[in-house]
Amino acid sequence: MIHLKDVHKTYPGAVPLHVLKGINLDIDRGELVSIMGASGSGKSTLLNILGILDNYDSGEYILDGRLIRDLGENAAADLRNHLIGFVFQSFNLISYKDAVENVALPLFYQGVSRRKRNAMALEQLDRMGLREWAHHLPGELSGGQKQRVAIARALITNPAIILADEPTGALDSKTSVEVMKIFRQLNDEGMTTVIVTHDPGVGAQTNRIIRISDGLILPDNPR
Amino acid sequence: MFDLLNEIWQTMRTNKLRTILTGIAVAWGIFMLIVLLGLAKGVRTGFESSPMGNTRNVIQLWAGNTSMPFNGLKEGRSISLRERDMKALRHDIKENVSDVSGILEGSNVVMRSDSTHISSTYSGVFPVMRDEEQLKMTHGRFISDRDVSQCEKVVVLEERNATTLYGSPDRAVGRLLDINGIAFKVIGVYKHNWFNSVFIPYSVAKAISGFSDTLGTIRVKVEGMSTMDEAQEIEKEIRRSVGRTESFHPDDSSAIWIWNRFANYLSNQTAMSVLNWVMWAIGLLTLITGIVGVSNIMFVSVRERTHEIGIRRAIGARPRYILIQIILEGVVITTLFGYIGIVLGTVAGELMAHAFADTMFVKDPRVDVGLAVQVTALLVVAGALAGLFPAMRALKIRPVEALRTE
Repeated sequence: MIHLKDVHKTYPGAVPLHVLKGINLDIDRGELVSIMGASGSGKSTLLNILGILDNYDSGEYILDGRLIRDLGENAAADLRNHLIGFVFQSFNLISYKDAVENVALPLFYQGVSRRKRNAMALEQLDRMGLREWAHHLPGELSGGQKQRVAIARALITNPAIILADEPTGALDSKTSVEVMKIFRQLNDEGMTTVIVTHDPGVGAQTNRIIRISDGLILPDNPR
Repeated sequence: MFDLLNEIWQTMRTNKLRTILTGIAVAWGIFMLIVLLGLAKGVRTGFESSPMGNTRNVIQLWAGNTSMPFNGLKEGRSISLRERDMKALRHDIKENVSDVSGILEGSNVVMRSDSTHISSTYSGVFPVMRDEEQLKMTHGRFISDRDVSQCEKVVVLEERNATTLYGSPDRAVGRLLDINGIAFKVIGVYKHNWFNSVFIPYSVAKAISGFSDTLGTIRVKVEGMSTMDEAQEIEKEIRRSVGRTESFHPDDSSAIWIWNRFANYLSNQTAMSVLNWVMWAIGLLTLITGIVGVSNIMFVSVRERTHEIGIRRAIGARPRYILIQIILEGVVITTLFGYIGIVLGTVAGELMAHAFADTMFVKDPRVDVGLAVQVTALLVVAGALAGLFPAMRALKIRPVEALRTE
């Protein structure tokens, strides 16, 4: 599903910052993996590259059989829309759209009709146990509910992979457990999921922990 | 498209106060543009329908004194206009001249009705005078060819004189008026804002003057002219023709005085065009202030929504979509509030039309459909421009940077 070979990334500046120093990584279809590392280790940069939100300087990145390299903005947007579902620490819901509209938004960019995408969004919210909250704004939802809405949005395009950046970082421990339970359920259904976290408790609930330090992947630690 | 408009509506609804305040600036700009252009149109229409505008096809000549020696005659000679000059003009100038007539005047003449009297000037005229001066007959009729040929002692009064002499204009027709001891029958009353001449047939005035052929004024009715060059050329031809008859140099500008109303009309037209452009300029500058306001607010909006744009880009929005959404937002705000400005401007036009109903110089200061279409097109372009630059700025932000923005 994911294949990275000798991927390098340097941020230019007065003092160039070499963040990724030759990442080699393979993640198979249906895996639930966590990427862990200290602040500044390069894990967020790696996630951005995996999510086609940022470019890499050299090496090779293959996602679902496609070489991700020097993509135009439109091609990158289309791949993000069709292949990747994002879950962010701060939920990243649009504040003036209700839960259904937030969940349905990726389908809007696919040109799906309003009626159809809202029906699909309701299904996803139902799956997350949030049907009765469908027409509430994010400001009216709890942290756990917001993250479940975000997961529903990530799933609505039936992506090849879910990329989650500290998905429990803003949640209390009880809610974190609930959210991780959802990720495990999704993994049981065959969804490939990559979670970036610094929480060992979260990492412990994944099948594989990929440790990154100073821009390099440490040897695998399968569970 | 409906989805896109719905997105824009949601954004506007989220920022109600900001949208309304920005919209007011646009509405005010359009309102000012409509009002100013309506006023310019009103002034133009007022001029066109005024005696100055309506009677532009007349060139009037008065006698003067020569300022140049000519043909052995020294300067300073007094020139008289005579009937032979009318004949010469008819003969010499065929192009652009449809009629040549004259006026014989008698000034400080006492005119008596049964009850009162006035001291005024009579003008012996031909029937063509009515058309040339666009005289509006309110009672009775004007002098006819028969009145001139039969030397009928008839008189046409202006409403104010008719009121003074007979109490009201409608009582004047059919009554007698004593002019210098000769009884004239009042055959008509006209209304004019500027002058109140007492008109009698030319032939009668000539008889009163002892059959003198010296005219006070010669009037040349012109047609088919459209340029200042043509207007000036015909003036030269008139000087040449009268100069040949009365022996003065064709370049002697003071031998006869010419009031070329057509040339004046063209000059006024130029002034009206300038006025129109000035009004457009003022209106557009006011509108631009509004547009800059929209653009500014769109910049703020883009900055505030950078994170949202990042979310949208992350979940698959193509840059073009973001561009179109922001531009369209500018167009929607500008068009929506612009139309409010158009409606208010139209209402103001109606109020101005009502307020200026009795004045001569501003008439019908309302905008027409053509102008509304132009302003609408302007709104769409302006709105697109207002949104374009903020949208381009939004596109320069990379999704990963936008997501980091709080």
